[in-house]
Amino acid sequence: MEPAEVEFLAEKELVTIVPNFSLDRIHLIGGDLGPFNPGLPVEVPVWLAINLKQRQKCRLIPPEWMDVGKLEEIRDQERKEDTFTPMPSPYYMELTKLLLNYASDNIPRADEIRTLVKDTWDTRMAKLRLSADSFVRQQEAHAKLDNLTLMEINTTGTFLTQALDHMYKLRTNLQPGESAHSQDF
Amino acid sequence: MSEAYFPVGPGLGLEENFLSLDDILMSQEKLPGRAESALPRLALALGKGGGGAESVPEGSKLEIPLWLAKGLHDSKRRIISVEPPKIYKEAWRTVFSADANVVDLHKMGPYYYGFGSQLLNFDNPENPEIAQTVSNCVYHLQTFISRFRRIMDSSQNAYNEDTSALVARLDELERALFQVGQKGLNDFQCWEKGQASQITASSLVQNYGKRKFAEVDG
Repeated sequence: MEPAEVEFLAEKELVTIVPNFSLDRIHLIGGDLGPFNPGLPVEVPVWLAINLKQRQKCRLIPPEWMDVGKLEEIRDQERKEDTFTPMPSPYYMELTKLLLNYASDNIPRADEIRTLVKDTWDTRMAKLRLSADSFVRQQEAHAKLDNLTLMEINTTGTFLTQALDHMYKLRTNLQPGESAHSQDF
Repeated sequence: MSEAYFPVGPGLGLEENFLSLDDILMSQEKLPGRAESALPRLALALGKGGGGAESVPEGSKLEIPLWLAKGLHDSKRRIISVEPPKIYKEAWRTVFSADANVVDLHKMGPYYYGFGSQLLNFDNPENPEIAQTVSNCVYHLQTFISRFRRIMDSSQNAYNEDTSALVARLDELERALFQVGQKGLNDFQCWEKGQASQITASSLVQNYGKRKFAEVDG
């Protein structure tokens, strides 16, 4: 899977916008949206919010967690804990990138937010490498990674599964009878 | 076009993958061995010089490619006996267990893991040297495990760098793994910079254009 595909999934998340036009309730396959009234906040998927924003038809209200104070807290918590801490959104990286790229004028202290999210990401990736290494060293066969987001899994996923695949094959070579049987086709 | 091309990967087990090009190259690596019976009219083919009619005498030392050794080796009919190459023997295994990261597996290999796994095929209780190969396999696993961290770190941190120095000492299997790690990193960085959202011409179309140009030229 490519990062763009992960972003595609992230665009289904809902954000609040303040439109400056009127439109009746619209019926889309994935659910109804609207009605849109000027000045009244309404929840729409990210893909629509960005499209409306680019056409200058709305103002975007940043998600609650996209706030310098909260993100600092999350970053410090992430550095303190050994395991992965829950993230404010399953697509925090994607939403930060999309919203900051297309609507940075609606988000207060956008640069600081970008830095904080990047710091959190780096901390988590370093942690992921560390735990992957100890996972491999102890020759475990399964692991539980509850609070990893899809983008994080996707960045190292192929590498990790392929390495574990090699390891599994090298390990099962030790039981010649068994592995010879499974290769019998 | 790499997404539409599905090469057969190496088997990395007791059996190679029949159509894997990597495995075919791996199986032509030479293996030291000894003729257990006389082999008539094979002196020329086995590199022992002489005319077409000369035979290989019993007990002479041979260098046999892995595929041929596999075919000739039989625990009952003793035609040839095979020895593991020296990098799979005790002396080198001590080096590996001291620090696997310092070993240049590309020079030793370049199919260190695949070839080592294939050596299990010559497991023969009558031959204590070959029986070592089973314990050898534990060492392969240990080697892989201790080199894993370095491959992961260097593949995930080297962005936009010349990686030829990093991969120079990696075995072919590790190189493929390194490439996968690099691809994950590069894709993510491209996405982050916003290059992924730019629509570009498909590589198929580009290649087609080139070919047409070449035809006009010629």
